[in-house]
Amino acid sequence: MSRVLLLLVGAALLTACNGGTVDRHALKQDSDAIDSLACEGALLARDVAKGRSTLYFARVHADELAVRASHFGDALSDRPTLEPIRAKVRDEARKAGRIARLLDELHRHPADGGVAERLRPRLEHEGDCS
Amino acid sequence: MKIFQIALGILAAIGGFVDIGDLVFNVAAGATFGYQLLWVVVIGVVGIIVYSEMCGRVAAASNKAVFDVVRERVGFRAGLGTLVAAQIVNLMTLAAEIGGIAICLQLLSGLPYRWLIVAAIVALAIVVWVTSFDWLERIFGYGGLCLLAFAVAAVKLRPDWGDVASGYVPHLETDDPLLYLYFAVGLLGAAMTPYEVYFYSSGAVEEEWTPKDLGLNRANAMIGYGLGGFLSFALMITGGALFLNKGIQPDFLGSIALGAEVPLGKIGLLLALVGILFAVGGASIDTLLSGAYNLAQFLGWEWGRYRSASGAPRFTLTWMVLLVLALGIVMTGVDPVQLTEYAVVFSVVALPLTYLPILLVANDRAYMGAHANGRLANVLGVVYLFVILAVSASAIPLMILTNVGQG
Repeated sequence: MSRVLLLLVGAALLTACNGGTVDRHALKQDSDAIDSLACEGALLARDVAKGRSTLYFARVHADELAVRASHFGDALSDRPTLEPIRAKVRDEARKAGRIARLLDELHRHPADGGVAERLRPRLEHEGDCS
Repeated sequence: MKIFQIALGILAAIGGFVDIGDLVFNVAAGATFGYQLLWVVVIGVVGIIVYSEMCGRVAAASNKAVFDVVRERVGFRAGLGTLVAAQIVNLMTLAAEIGGIAICLQLLSGLPYRWLIVAAIVALAIVVWVTSFDWLERIFGYGGLCLLAFAVAAVKLRPDWGDVASGYVPHLETDDPLLYLYFAVGLLGAAMTPYEVYFYSSGAVEEEWTPKDLGLNRANAMIGYGLGGFLSFALMITGGALFLNKGIQPDFLGSIALGAEVPLGKIGLLLALVGILFAVGGASIDTLLSGAYNLAQFLGWEWGRYRSASGAPRFTLTWMVLLVLALGIVMTGVDPVQLTEYAVVFSVVALPLTYLPILLVANDRAYMGAHANGRLANVLGVVYLFVILAVSASAIPLMILTNVGQG
């Protein structure tokens, strides 16, 4: 039984591990996740602009998205990177930072339709949302 | 009057069907694969009906709940392994659900998350202490019906109904079959969460079911869980219709609520958040009590919500300790959504350990007499045993190979 438990814990640690070198696959994954945050933020901003969200929901959820985007930016800046994709990783880290700042602005103005209306297209552009 | 009571029970079962695992996996599956995995929900719902109907029948015929049966059938040593596995998964699920309550309250109130974790724990302790079994079921079951907002949202998002219909037929349209399998395993695990069955069979013993209640058992299991599965469909369709084309990965409980806000506005958002709060709150209580039921049944202690705290002191102490342990886990700052994914995967791994003894007992004519499995229950029971074994063996490898569903 203890062996099974050890295996389970080991498996959990293995899969939870988000460190390591950034390769093409990891970059693609992170890039998709960052775009996802921007697009979700754009949806939220659209609802805020139309008065279809609540103050607390918009504030809290925009903050969750901003913090996650910021973490991606930090991780991409800090983690070792394969040389051929170094420039792309730096670009992606900067993009994550820009998205984090836009989402943070939405977090700080959760009831301001004007701000949300201004942020929405920028988030859509950053996330390349269809 | 009897029909009215059954209807109320079924309503509560529908509202109580969805927990944080269903919310996370159904919406994420929709966002990743559209409607392709709807068929898995059908398999999962039939599976939980088969499993819980057997457990209810065993409880009605023998007055024994799941862990009474496990100890009796497999003995102390093997049973202890099963108990430890079940309790670990239960505790992970409980912590995830409590984190879910706190997030939901935060999305509704804007108050700090950690304060709300403590508030949720205190509220749960009070509710479990003062509320009767019937009322626990009703309050959270009826509150969970607010999740029907997702059914309206799914329709309002105008999915391609032809694509939705084709989702009920197993097919593979993806260049990442491992991820598809991971989500299939997760959806099955979310639908066949073992704590639901522990709680269900313990409730049957608490309510002193006898063979006369077997009709009620069948109705509760088939209609309650069957219609509860309808909410899972709605969640997956919402995820597919709203998030798939935009490339959004719904990694937060807030993302799930956004699925109702976008098509329905503030009303949809509030209904979704209240529904999630009650669904996750009800699941927390079920999980909490299941942990105490399991331990007390296995060790032969006095147990039950119908007994006073002094009538079942070790049972009462157990659920309190579980609550404190869950508090410790959530307070570490672990992400409840990620914890849910691990809990669902590990619950799948542990599922055969309790399913097999129940199947053996339900099939034992010497034990169950005229209430042993009939031909249909037997065929379904054995088919699901193979499904569960296959899913259980593949869950951890798939989790590792897909990086917990991140691809």
